[in-house]
Amino acid sequence: MKVNNLHEQALAIGLSAKAIRLRERLLEVTRNAGRGHIGPALSILEIIDVLYDRVMQIAGPPRGQEWANRDRFILSKGHGCLGLYVVLEEKGLLEDLDLSQICTYNSKFGGHPESAFIPSIEFSTGSLGHGLPVAAGIAKAGAMKKQNWRVFVLVGDGELNEGSNWEAAAHCVKHKLDNLVVIVDYNNMQASGLVQEVLDMRPLREKWEAFGFETFEVNGHDCVALEQVLNMKSNGLPRCVIAYTVKGKGIKIAENSSIWHHKAKITTQEIETLKADLYS
Amino acid sequence: MRQAALQTVYELAKLDPRVVFVGSDLGAGTLKEMRDELPDQFFMEGISEQYLIGFVAGLAKEGFIPYVNTIANFFTRRAYEQIAMDIALHNLPVRLLASGGGMVYAPLGPTHTAIDDLALMSGIPKMRIFAPGDANEMRELLRTSITDSKPWYVRFGKGGEPIFSPENQKYPELPKIYGNLQPDYLFVSTGIIVHEALSAMEGLRQIGITKVGVIHIPEISQIEFDAWVNIYEHAKKVIVAEEHIPRGGLFSRVLQIIHSKNLDTSKLCSKSLPFAYLHNYGSQKDHLTAHGLDSQGLIDALKE
Repeated sequence: MKVNNLHEQALAIGLSAKAIRLRERLLEVTRNAGRGHIGPALSILEIIDVLYDRVMQIAGPPRGQEWANRDRFILSKGHGCLGLYVVLEEKGLLEDLDLSQICTYNSKFGGHPESAFIPSIEFSTGSLGHGLPVAAGIAKAGAMKKQNWRVFVLVGDGELNEGSNWEAAAHCVKHKLDNLVVIVDYNNMQASGLVQEVLDMRPLREKWEAFGFETFEVNGHDCVALEQVLNMKSNGLPRCVIAYTVKGKGIKIAENSSIWHHKAKITTQEIETLKADLYS
Repeated sequence: MRQAALQTVYELAKLDPRVVFVGSDLGAGTLKEMRDELPDQFFMEGISEQYLIGFVAGLAKEGFIPYVNTIANFFTRRAYEQIAMDIALHNLPVRLLASGGGMVYAPLGPTHTAIDDLALMSGIPKMRIFAPGDANEMRELLRTSITDSKPWYVRFGKGGEPIFSPENQKYPELPKIYGNLQPDYLFVSTGIIVHEALSAMEGLRQIGITKVGVIHIPEISQIEFDAWVNIYEHAKKVIVAEEHIPRGGLFSRVLQIIHSKNLDTSKLCSKSLPFAYLHNYGSQKDHLTAHGLDSQGLIDALKE
């Protein structure tokens, strides 16, 4: 299950008070929905938090004058949206939209993120393999308009089974999109089992490098390391950051558990059990 | 028709820096002048339609107006989900310029003949679907596209079609009703089949059947039925002719509209390609003839 030392470190690392707080909120939101992709949201929570808190330049509120100059973020693995929702809420980027009614009939928040009614959601995603091609177009547009903003796109490791990612990877290098960063959430689990058993994508770093990406590997729950690598200056190439993470990170019974990849009919009792199992 | 379309994109690009042309490994000479003169607005991408649609969606999201050209099927079948989710769900002004509509690529077999494209695109909310009948109409249509915020699918004919539309008349005002305005017999068609319908009308006139009309429908997604409801009501027999499978295209749309108006649908007949993979080769014209979509076939259908 552990693919290398960074993955072991991702398993071992503790959580900050903020990381615990975000997870508690995520579980509260899920309690109301009664369903959700908890595991895939917990593996990306530190990545998204670091992006919005310490990396991305977002000068003003959605619909504000400065919004056009923001760095862009696309959650290509849209099923991890619980993680995105709680960070956007924490950062005050949800305007007055009510996250607590998620997945109910009139809610603006569903089980995958939609940009139609939530201006801080950059692009609607859900079906896998769409984020990187769209991010490439956005990054190209930014370069054509000589803008300084950057584009971050977070893809799942299982999502890399989709060939459209590799079509896009080749073109990102062709267009020299040095304003684009692909982050791979390498939690080593997909819906039906371990990534290495379903479709082993290794050697992953070498694959991205072979396409021409400047590639880094990092413990995806180490906020300091994430901040450092995501803030590095570009050297003219598109960049890939392989973040080793743990599905269900922070809740022992959910960690590396396929049960908590996606679960419907989650009971209040189960939420309480998960909360009690949160560790620091 | 393709040449007229691409030249119009070039014209638009010269006037508006938001306009970009994106091709998918098209012939080396495609829009060479534009490539040389406006290299920043010209992209020739690899053979990767899923990426291509996502890429142009990203460009459109940031304010560009991409005109994308490849073979029709490689849009509609290969990249259907990208068109539905990346473009239409986000209501982005991407123009899909689809080469080889219908049986244009008959010699290349069923992988290349686009006979279900109108049906596939009709399943996508917000998508505007066009099948112009000649180069003039194509040119005028694309000139209007610059101001529309919705996504477009535009089916190309083979090229070299006879011209029946007046030049330099703005697209929405182009005439769509031909022949007798109180006809006994009415042909309703889209795309290049209008030429077969007009020819059939002339053939019927020569044998003394003069009360014949033709309605040309260049936009499947927005049929202006009110403009010809009286003509429809007057006609005894109405033949909807399309270079397409019999479901999901023009006939389905016309039938739906007429049914919704509580009008008589019993006089409606469909002339189309069969609902099948077509394994014969030959020319586009061979297929139109074989399936009764040429002018003689339409005359015969009217007499049935």
